[in-house]
Amino acid sequence: MTYRPTFRKQGDGSRCAWSNCGPASHAMAADRHRKGVDPKTPHGWLPTPSEIRNYMTPNSCGGTNLQQNDAACTHMYLVNMDVRYGVPWTTFRSAIISGRGAVVQILYSKVPARFDGSPGFGGNHAVFVNERRSSDGAYLVYDPLADGRRAGIPKGPQWWPASVLQAAAYAMPGTAAGCVNASFTRDTEV
Amino acid sequence: MPVKDQKKPAPKPSEAVEVHRKHVEEFLKDEKYKAKPATLNDTSDEAKP
Repeated sequence: MTYRPTFRKQGDGSRCAWSNCGPASHAMAADRHRKGVDPKTPHGWLPTPSEIRNYMTPNSCGGTNLQQNDAACTHMYLVNMDVRYGVPWTTFRSAIISGRGAVVQILYSKVPARFDGSPGFGGNHAVFVNERRSSDGAYLVYDPLADGRRAGIPKGPQWWPASVLQAAAYAMPGTAAGCVNASFTRDTEV
Repeated sequence: MPVKDQKKPAPKPSEAVEVHRKHVEEFLKDEKYKAKPATLNDTSDEAKP
């Protein structure tokens, strides 16, 4: 069975929490990449959004991107992910099927209500995708906003239909048509 | 853009994992997908509590 990382919510009360979708998604990706094994660096293990944030921007908040987060994970956890832009959907699917996880950038306004972890928010967001279910093609999505903090907000990883993930990823502004931008973990299933 | 340039289409979901793995390994070697498009704003926004 594919290793499942510990879910990390971004709304953890830490500095910049509501801008920490990138650090939270990468905390889960780093956990998956290492299959939970502590790299024994001076940084805490398991990874946390706040520690990644504090390494990246110790004196400011605001959104982050894939490259920033990858650089932080490489330094902090020896996790060097593969950041790629304009990835055809079918290749993304192959990556997940073959044993990689991925942080995917999405436009949150495309996320339907049943998966919506922040009603009223429709901007750029990042989620971690851990695996694909062959029976129906759904993806196990770790949305850092899905913390169940109140009624109607999902809690923890959710199986998103492929069409939902695809539509949200395609809608990321500036993304090539029919493609996604993603940061892939190593293949942990070899 | 990348979809047109892709040399070999990705395998169908039903194909063996090893076929997917090989496709992805070849894809990741391609340098052109490493460059961030100039038009892309991939900085995330602030969500609402």
